[in-house]
Parts: sequence; structure tokens; C-alpha cells
Amino acid sequence: MTSLKRPTANDQSHLNLSSKVYVRSTKSGKVQKIVREVYLRQDIPCSSQICSNCRPPANAAGQVSPPVLSDKPAGTKAFPQGHYLVPDTNALLNAMDLFEQSSAFFDVIILQTVLEELRNRSLPLYNRLIGLTKSEDKRFYVFFNEFRLETYVAREQDESINDRNDRAVRQAVQWYNMHLAQVKSKRLPTVVMLTDDKGNIEKAKQDKVPAVTLRDYVGGLEDADRLLDMIAESRERGISRDKKAADFLYPEYFTMSKMMTGVKGGMLHQGIFNVSPYNYLEGSIKVPAFPKALLILGRDNINRAVDGDVVVVEVLPKDQWKEPSTKIIEEEAITKNENADGDEGEDLVTEKERRALQEEVKKTHTSSSEGRPQPTAKVVGIIKRNWRQYVGHIDQSSVGSAAKSGRKQDTVFLIPMDKKVPKIKLRTRQVGELLGKRILVTIDAWDRESRHPVGHFVRSLGELETKAAETEALLLEHDVQYRPFPKTVLDCLPKEGHDWKVPASTDDPGWKGREDLRGLLICSIDPVGCQDIDDALHARALPNGNFEVGVHIADVSHFVKPSNAMDNEASIRGTTVYLVDKRIDMLPMLLGTDLCSLKPYVERYAFSVLWELNQSADIVNVRFTKSVIKSREAFSYEQAQIRIDDDSQQDDLTKGMRTLLMLSKKLKQKRMDAGALSLSSPEVKVQMESETSDPIDVKTKELLDTNSLVEEFMLLANISVAGKIYEAFPQTAILRRHAAPPKTNFDELANQLKVKRGLELHVDSSRAVADSLDACRDPKEPFFNTLIRIMATRCMMSAEYFCAGTQAYPEFRHYGLASEIYTHFTSPIRRYADLCAHRQLAAAIDYEPMHPSVRSRGKLEAVCKNINVRHRNAQLAGRASIAYYVGQSLKGRVAEEEGFVMKIFSNGFVILVPRFGIEGLIRLRDLAETEPESVYDAENYTLKLSGSRDLTVELFQKVVVRISDAKDEATGKRGAKMELVKVI
Amino acid sequence: MATTTLLSPAELAYLHSTLSLTPPIRPDGRTATQFRPLTAETGILPGTNGSARICFADGTEAIVGVKAEVEKTRLSPYQDRNGRRQGSRRKGPAKSKQGKPEDSEDSGEEEDGELQDAEVKGSNDWVEISVEIPGYRDDDSSTVFLGTMLSEALLADGDFTRRLWINRRFHWKLYIDIILISPPLSYPLPLLSLTSHLALLSTRLPKLRSEADEDPMFDDDWAASTFIYPQTGEGSKTSATTRPPITLLVMAVGDNIIFDPSKEELAVADSALAVSVGEGQALQEKAAEEGTMEVDASGVDGKPGRALRLLSVRTIDPPSRLTPPGVPNSVNASAWGQGGAASKNPDARQAETGDVAGVWKAPRGGMKPAVLGAMVAKVLEKGGVADEVLDGLQGVELA
Repeated sequence: MTSLKRPTANDQSHLNLSSKVYVRSTKSGKVQKIVREVYLRQDIPCSSQICSNCRPPANAAGQVSPPVLSDKPAGTKAFPQGHYLVPDTNALLNAMDLFEQSSAFFDVIILQTVLEELRNRSLPLYNRLIGLTKSEDKRFYVFFNEFRLETYVAREQDESINDRNDRAVRQAVQWYNMHLAQVKSKRLPTVVMLTDDKGNIEKAKQDKVPAVTLRDYVGGLEDADRLLDMIAESRERGISRDKKAADFLYPEYFTMSKMMTGVKGGMLHQGIFNVSPYNYLEGSIKVPAFPKALLILGRDNINRAVDGDVVVVEVLPKDQWKEPSTKIIEEEAITKNENADGDEGEDLVTEKERRALQEEVKKTHTSSSEGRPQPTAKVVGIIKRNWRQYVGHIDQSSVGSAAKSGRKQDTVFLIPMDKKVPKIKLRTRQVGELLGKRILVTIDAWDRESRHPVGHFVRSLGELETKAAETEALLLEHDVQYRPFPKTVLDCLPKEGHDWKVPASTDDPGWKGREDLRGLLICSIDPVGCQDIDDALHARALPNGNFEVGVHIADVSHFVKPSNAMDNEASIRGTTVYLVDKRIDMLPMLLGTDLCSLKPYVERYAFSVLWELNQSADIVNVRFTKSVIKSREAFSYEQAQIRIDDDSQQDDLTKGMRTLLMLSKKLKQKRMDAGALSLSSPEVKVQMESETSDPIDVKTKELLDTNSLVEEFMLLANISVAGKIYEAFPQTAILRRHAAPPKTNFDELANQLKVKRGLELHVDSSRAVADSLDACRDPKEPFFNTLIRIMATRCMMSAEYFCAGTQAYPEFRHYGLASEIYTHFTSPIRRYADLCAHRQLAAAIDYEPMHPSVRSRGKLEAVCKNINVRHRNAQLAGRASIAYYVGQSLKGRVAEEEGFVMKIFSNGFVILVPRFGIEGLIRLRDLAETEPESVYDAENYTLKLSGSRDLTVELFQKVVVRISDAKDEATGKRGAKMELVKVI
Repeated sequence: MATTTLLSPAELAYLHSTLSLTPPIRPDGRTATQFRPLTAETGILPGTNGSARICFADGTEAIVGVKAEVEKTRLSPYQDRNGRRQGSRRKGPAKSKQGKPEDSEDSGEEEDGELQDAEVKGSNDWVEISVEIPGYRDDDSSTVFLGTMLSEALLADGDFTRRLWINRRFHWKLYIDIILISPPLSYPLPLLSLTSHLALLSTRLPKLRSEADEDPMFDDDWAASTFIYPQTGEGSKTSATTRPPITLLVMAVGDNIIFDPSKEELAVADSALAVSVGEGQALQEKAAEEGTMEVDASGVDGKPGRALRLLSVRTIDPPSRLTPPGVPNSVNASAWGQGGAASKNPDARQAETGDVAGVWKAPRGGMKPAVLGAMVAKVLEKGGVADEVLDGLQGVELA
């Protein structure tokens, strides 16, 4: 009988066929044995420019991709002939930052084995590596060693997968060296394996495979100290540090299967871990099972979770339930004198922390029945770490005096800018240089025996408080993509560049389906100095007494075609980010500020919404069309206001603007009647000196009628478009909703108002909220109403983009605008959601067929998810930028300003200063030399001080504070520092 | 599979008489207990959890593939979420089947550890066997009968399904696909049984990584998977301590007991029997006696005695019992004596019904209990055929 068995890899008669066997577990719980056949070939090139034997591969079009690896690679002391590097998986895992350096690490061969292993271990690192292999100047080549006959390695009996992969790497290195040796060349580069694994190195030595450890290799490079710091800390020492169980500081995590079973069974809960901004030892987690967030208190219960991680928690027994803390606890203050070196013998909870916790407990016990304890939970496992790179600075006090000058490796603490992130332990050789710098680090691990997470240095952003470093820090912290647009994106731009014009002939394909609206008297109204003009308006009286009103939006979708490189980049960026002195564009400048921008006096493509409105601003009919327009003027809000108010101006353009203003007021009234909220956030504008762009003054933003004019028509356009695209695409329309906040969100504010002012806050509907907010007035204090609005805004949910198919129609509602349906359509230059809406609207009016990517719900959901995050980050970055510049504008000045108490803790309070739009924390210990005695009355929101300073601080109270500019030692941020002058 | 042979009554009679000699003379020269030579290999279907193929020298050939799926255990209304029995804490039937009837009064005081053990029990619908014989529908009675006999042997003592238990909430569901790929040249039961045996021996299940009653999670490394029938020993000399059952076909001619009959031999059998034997102890017993087992194993000059257990016995209607072609209706029981001509002519009738030397006549009547007992005893005999077959199969490399 001839055997029917598949040949095994060891079978010499079937050299080119092998198979890969593994077990796949699907999400639905199926477990399958998977067998993949592997056909081995001999035509996979080595891709070295030296090699003449390998034929470079050509694609279907016959284009040959040239060899990647240089024929004269750089040499080192050990390899004077030059070398190609072959890193193994551990090397990449531990030191990806090194490979991204521009000073070293060129000509690298990435083996398929390594690439696949990396993808299984860490997707972000994998994506970074893929990015590297695409970069032309780094010369990274992916060699498919698993498919090449000579480098394929079959797994041996009882060999672990890791050992097999290591062997495959060694085999590939060996083959490369032999392969290159066939070339007659004097200067033959060595192919070197780069690894961190001792066993691997030893085996390589036995097999005479050139290999070097990561540390030895980097040690031989220039600038070794800086580079050495970039190697991940945790794995470096390997598993030699087997500690006794008693040394573990944190409880062990549950196994993944245990967590999954628990979550499915409803015994455990999964959610995103959030740290309180005021107390680093207090976290909360919102889980689907409960209406309110669960509290997580103390280091033990937080159990190594970092803000943003997806964690699984277990609810603690009822006797451990607590009130949320009323105390400000900053990591800086409590763990100040910790020694970064010493972990041994250190308790998990330090004495000071324990004391702080005791006070908490006391607090809970003494408080009356009012202060009901809330359910608490503890973290039992982590589903997904959301560690990113963190910006921070080195804690001066953690640096030994000798270390500042010496070259020896030192362990220091990095204090992240983000107060929610714990201190990061860092080992570095360049303490002296890094002190006083903003630096970027990555967390590598947080083991059970380590009190703090361990990380490694990535790069330095520059001196603390320099504008460049701080701006970059801010962008990094908010995950804003600020790198210049890559070439592939720029290739998508029109070839004509700035000379691009609307084709003169209306027969041109660009004119197809477009209406010629060049005759209309259109103008744009924007903030001063606006370059990316998204929108323009016009209005004219119709013979029947109604008005024709048009909103014309830049036709960005004409230039950005779906799924090309530019579209992908824009969808990742999601939005343009506005900083005080800088704008990070979503689309390349050429489009944003020129070709798309509806500049005055030139013809531009537009997407127009045209209404017929009657005298009371009701919509008689609406239509949408692609068009060509010519804006007559670009006004600033002020200019427009002046022109409207100037009775001597009687031209048609001004008359049109007056019509618009008249209609906008009616629209606004209607909206208010429907229950739209007028919310508030402290907004200020930083004035810059034009030459040095140093901030000189801060002004609160003025709101003119013209602001509201533009706003009303944009809202109207958005609502009309939302209706249209929803009608056309009930499953995929991209919309924006603002969920009604749960009533419990307002509990605290309502209680505060009731106790302090005897005011009622009705929260049954947005209309009720709007009305009761209107009623919240203090005749003596006009700002009081704004203060309440600011606080109310913080109780709301944030609005979000979504795909129509993911929600039921009643959920579409925009709470704040009191509109049934809403989308973003009017700013496609700076928001990606608007661009999607444009494409959908174009398809809805049969202007062009729908591109598959705009039709696929899965893809759109991913887009929504991303732009929601980006949108939020952009807002935060913008605010952080303003805060920074407010601080800068105060430099060297001391200002006394009025402020209001927004929040009271038992050992401090938060004050909002409307003049600068900033909030500041005043701690009791800052009030006097010795910390005054205090009695905190939680029910009346009052803090009575006695002893070194007699004072009573109440919520909503008006105070005078002295604001000066100071560096916050904790975060290294320069910001406004407040001192209480007096209570009014 | 009762294929009729093309032998004449005279040839059949001759065959019958040679097989009745002592010792019997078989057409292919085998001894009474000798098996047909076979070749076997395992692991021929890479996508399955276990597979095997066996070829008999007469050209019949079978392939068996075993696939496993994770399935949620359906809970009976008497069990709570964790699969524990509610109300009375009586043990499941698995234990009482072992011949240890439990005093239900005492069982209330059982300790948890033992309860756990009792809960590891399987259910017969965790195994699905399908048999395919070329030229026969899968709902043909003979195909169904074959399948039933094979599953009966496998499920007889509940030991096998217990191996499929993952935790209280999940179990493996096993699909055993048995395919005869050659035409059925002889009654394929032994072939199918041996092939299934090998396939099950080589069946491996992914290694469980989750604990207790969690949703099961498995190691994605196939090399880490474990055999359903655990292997001991090293290298190529591995063997299972317990092994799947085998079903042997035995027939009797006169007082002779003949193993592994060919098609022709079966055509003259007085009676035929399918005997299923299992080897080794059930899981539970093994656990209890683990200590002593090892001592035993090394004691008897390296070759441990095989503990054979009878699992089931089925009589099979051999083709010899079917009415051969050319038999007049008058003597054909199934024709209800409707043969017209013969009934009118008593002479002719005598000529047709009477025993004539050298002319084959189908045997009538049931199997004698003594013969049946002798056949079973012969199978279970130490160093007998079952032992020999199992030894032979042990030599097949498991891949």
C-alpha cells in the first residue's frame, strides 16, 4: 500500500511542500485545528544590491522593485566590512524606538518569522515596524524566510514555538551569509543577528552564526548613552529575578478565561478605567451593568491599572463601599521622598498613604446618612493596555547628587504631565542632560513586585517651558498627528497646484452636474485672519415675498476622493487642531487654504444648500446642489457687523446680509422655544504680539450678532442635510447626536443650587433645563448665570458622531440643539465627518455614485469612533494651548482678579477666573504658613477655616485672587498660580 | 453487505466441509485464528483531530476521520447553573453502573472531592458516528446496523464519553466519519472497527488552558494538544494504557471457530458473531489503582498482561442464512410454501428438501449456546486473537 499521508517537512522527497498546524479559537467559541500548506520556493530575493544572483521581483505591470539593502552598508568596530542587521522578535519588542532612530539602524532585514511573531505580541509595535519598512531611507527589507526553501525550518519534536522561531532566525542569518559569500566582492557585509536572548546568542555561537546582543551593539555606536536608554527596561534582566511571593506588592490578575467567563456571567464587569483628576488614588469605571460609575479606591484596588486601560473589575463587599473622596490627593505630595532605586522592603502602601486612607475612612463614618457610600470595586485583570507614549519631566528629588555628573546608569522617576498617570520609573545614563527637559517615555511593564510602572526614554523634546517643546508635548499628550504630510498624500493634490482654477468652459467635466451660481451675491463671514473659509452665504428676496437663502460649503469632496492616501490620512487625523499660535491641518495647505477655501473674488467649487424661507423663517422648500460660486467679500465678524449697522450702506450685498440677520434671529428664537440650551464654557482669546508671537494679553471672546447669524444658518444647513442623507441612507448616514444626560448627572449641581441659593434645577427635558438655567440669576452678580451654565455643561454628555443604523431614531436627538436629527456638513476642510456627509449627500442627490467605503457600515463605524476621539483630543489640545499661553501672558506680572468658587474639597477648593478663563486649585496648606484648621461641611458646601487663618469659603462665592505665573512642580507645566486675597 | 457469492451449491458444500475439518482448512491457507494481513497508517487527514487508514490484503480499504468541536452541555432541569444536581444529591448513573450500587442514604454526606469525580461523566450524544459504504444508502439497514455496532462498543461502558468532558458547562463533541473506500468485498465490520480504533488512538484534542468551569480556552499550539487516549513511553515506543475497543468478527462452522472470515467463508458459516472487547481499565478505576498499576506493569517480564473486557456481543446474519438463488419456493421459508409444482409432486419435493451429500443447503435454526460461549471465550483468551490484533495495531506509528 502506498502511503496517502502528507509528506512531513523532514521528508526529503517533498522538498517544497510543508504545512503549518495550529489551533484557532473563534469568538463564537469554536475551536478548530487549522492546517495550512506551505509551498517553498527559491525565487525569493535577498534584496541586497550586492547580490547578482537574485532577480528582483516585478509586479503585474512589469515594474521591477529594486533591491532595498545598500551595497555599502555602514560598518562598526566589530564589523568593519559593513553589516546588515537581523533583529529577532525580542530585540524589536524591547527597542523599537531604537530602530526608528535616524542616526543608526540602517539596512535591516526583517524576517517574516519575526514580523508575524511581533504582530501577535504587540499590534502597535507591528504597525510601527510596517511604517519603517515603507520608509525608503531606512532601508528595511522584509524577507519571507518562511517561504524560502533554504530558510524554512520545520518544528522538531518537543521543540517550543519560540525555540523554533529562534532557530529559523539563525538559519536565515546563516543562509544570508552563505548566499552573499557567493558574490565575488572585496567588501562583503556581514549579516548579524541582533538579539536579547542569552540562549539564542549561545546557540548562534555554536552554529557560528554572527550574533550580537542589543546592548553590546548599541554600546558600540556613537551616542551610545542616549540610545541605550531607549531599550526597554523590564525584560532586560530576563527572568533571573524570580522573587518570592512575599515580595509581590500587587494581587495577581485573573486568567483571561476566568475574566471572560465572569464578564459573560455578569459577576465581573469590563470597562475603561478613569482616574480622578483630583485624586490619583481614586479611579472610576463606567460599566454597562450599572447606571453610575463604580469607584475604585487605593493602590491595591487599582492594581496597576493606568488611566485609559480596558480593565475587568469585581465589586467589593458592601462593607467596603465608600463615598467618593472630598480630598485632593496628589501623588507628588504624598510620595515625594520615595527612592526610585529601592523597591526592596517597601510596603505597597506607604505610611503617608495609609494615613490618608484612614482619614478617608473616618470621614465616611462620621458623615451623616446623607453621604451614602457608593459601590466600590477592585481591578482583577486587564483586557487591554492603552499605554501610549507619555510626556513628562524627571523628578528632581529622585536624582542622586552623584548621578547628575556621572555616566553611570541611574534610576529616576518621571513625572508625567498628565496627572492621571502614575510616576514612571526610568533607568537612564544621561540624567544630567535630561534634567529640566521635556521628555517622551514609554511604559514597558508594570510587574507585581514593582510599585511604579517601569518605562524607558524615547526622546527629548527640549527645554521645559520653551515654546517648541511645550507645543510638541501638548500635541503628543493629546495624540494629535502633527508630522508633515507624507509624499503619497501630497501626490493626491491637483497637479496645477496654486494655479488651479475653475475651468472656464462650462463643458468641462468638472462642471458636470454643477449649477452656475456665480451671479449670486455671496459673502463669507469668519473670525479675523481666517484662511480656511468653509462656508459662504447669500440671501435675496423672491417676488412672492419669501426669501431665497443659500449656504455654500467648500466642495472638498471634489478634491479628496474616497480611499486614496489623502483621504486615509484625513480620516486618521479626523479634524484640524487649532492651537493659539498654530494650526495642525487635516488636509494639506494647498487645499485647505486655497483650492477649497471659498476665497473672495475667485471662482470656487461649492456644495450649496438653497432654501426658500418665508417671513417667519419657516422652510418652504430646500434643495441641494453642487455649484460654482464667486464670493464677493470675506468679512470678519466685526466688519460684517459694522457694515450691517451702517445705514449708509444700501447695496444689495449689505441688504442680503441684513435679511440673513433678520432671519437668523427668528431661527434662533424658534430654536430656543423648542428648548435648545445655551451652554457656556469659559472662552478667551489670546492676543499675540505680531512679530514675536509672544502673548501680550488675554481677552474674553466677544459675541456679536453676526456670530449668531452664521451659526444659525450653519445649524439649519446641518439639520437639512441630516434629514436628506438619512432619508437616502437610513443605515449608513453619518449623523451627530447628543444624548440626554442621565438625571443623576445633575444631582449634585441641583443640590448645590438648592442648598446655596434656594434655586430649583429642573432636568426633565432640555426645555426645562434651559428655563431653569435662565432663572438662575443673581441680580448682584451677572456672571453667576454663566458660572452655572459652565457647571451645567460639565454635567452633560458629549455629542458624538454615529452611523444611522447603530441607533434607533429617537436616539438621534441632539439634546443641546433640541433638534431631532443633526449632522456636520459645513466644515469639510477641518472635519472629516463633514467630508463623509458631503459624499453621502452627493450620492443622495444622484450627483455621483456612492463609493463602497462610504457605503460600508462597518467602515463608517470605525471612522465615527476615531473622529469622536480625535474631536475630543483636538478640543483638549486647544484648551491646553490656551491655558499655556494664558500662563505665558502672565509672565512677570501679578494680577488681582475676581473669581468664583466652583468646587470644594475638605482640604482645598477650585476657583474659576472668568477674565482668563482659567481654573485654579487653592490648597489649604497654601493659605498660610501652617495649614489652617478646617471644618468641612459637605452638606452645606462650606469650608470653615480657623487657626492660622480665619475664613469661611462657600460654593459659588466670589473671591479675589492674586494670579501669578509659576511653575507647577508636579507637572513641570508653567501655569497660573492663584493665591486667595480675600473673600467677597 | 450480505453480498451473494457466485459459488455453486457444490462449491459451497465443499467449502463447508473443509472448514469443518479439524483443524479447518481455509481457502487462503490461514489458520483458524489468523487475521488477514493488513497495512495501516494514521494521520492521513491533516485537517482532522485524528485519522487512520487500513488496507486489507483482499483489497478492502477504509478511512476514518475524527473531528472534535466544543459544545455547550445542555443542563437538565434538575441541575443548577453549574451542572450540580439539585434537590437530592444522588449520584449519576455512571457510578452505579460500575457495579457499586450506592446506598443513597449515605450519599448525602459525601465529600466534595468525590462528588467532583462523579460529575465527570459523559453522555452518549457527545459522539456521532457516520458510516459510509459505497453502493449503499446511509439509511440502509445494514449500514445503520454497522454504525450501531461500532458506537455500541465505543459507548458501552461510558468510559469514552467521560474523556470528552471539559467542565460542567462544556464538552467535546466528536464526529467519527467512517468511510469504506473500496467496494465491500467482505463483511467490513472488522476493518471499520480496527480503522476507527486507530483513528481514535491518534485523536488529539487541543490543550485546555482555562480552569474549572470557565468558558474553555485552549492552547493554540497543536503540538501541545493531548491524546484522548493518553500515551506513555518514549519515542516510537509510545503506547496507550487504555485503548479504544475493537470489534472482531468470529464465525462457527460445526465446532470450528474461525476468525476474520472472508466473504466466501462467511457464505457457509453456521453462525457469525461480532464481539467487541475493550482493553485496560476505565478512567475511574485507573485513578484509584494507579500506584499498583505501575508495579504490575514492570513485573511480568516487561510485557504487562492485557486486561480484556467484553463490551458487547451481536449475532450477525451471515449470507449463508439467506436463501441462495435457485432454491425452489417449496423449500423457501420466505415464500410461504407457495411453490406450485413441488407441492403436487411429493417426489420432487423429497428431492429438493432432502439432504444431499455434496450439495450445499443453508443451515437452519439458531446458534447453540455452547458454541456462542466458546466463541466469546476464544476472543477473550489470553494471548488470543484480540491480544494479537491489539499487539499488531500497537506497532502503528501515531502521527
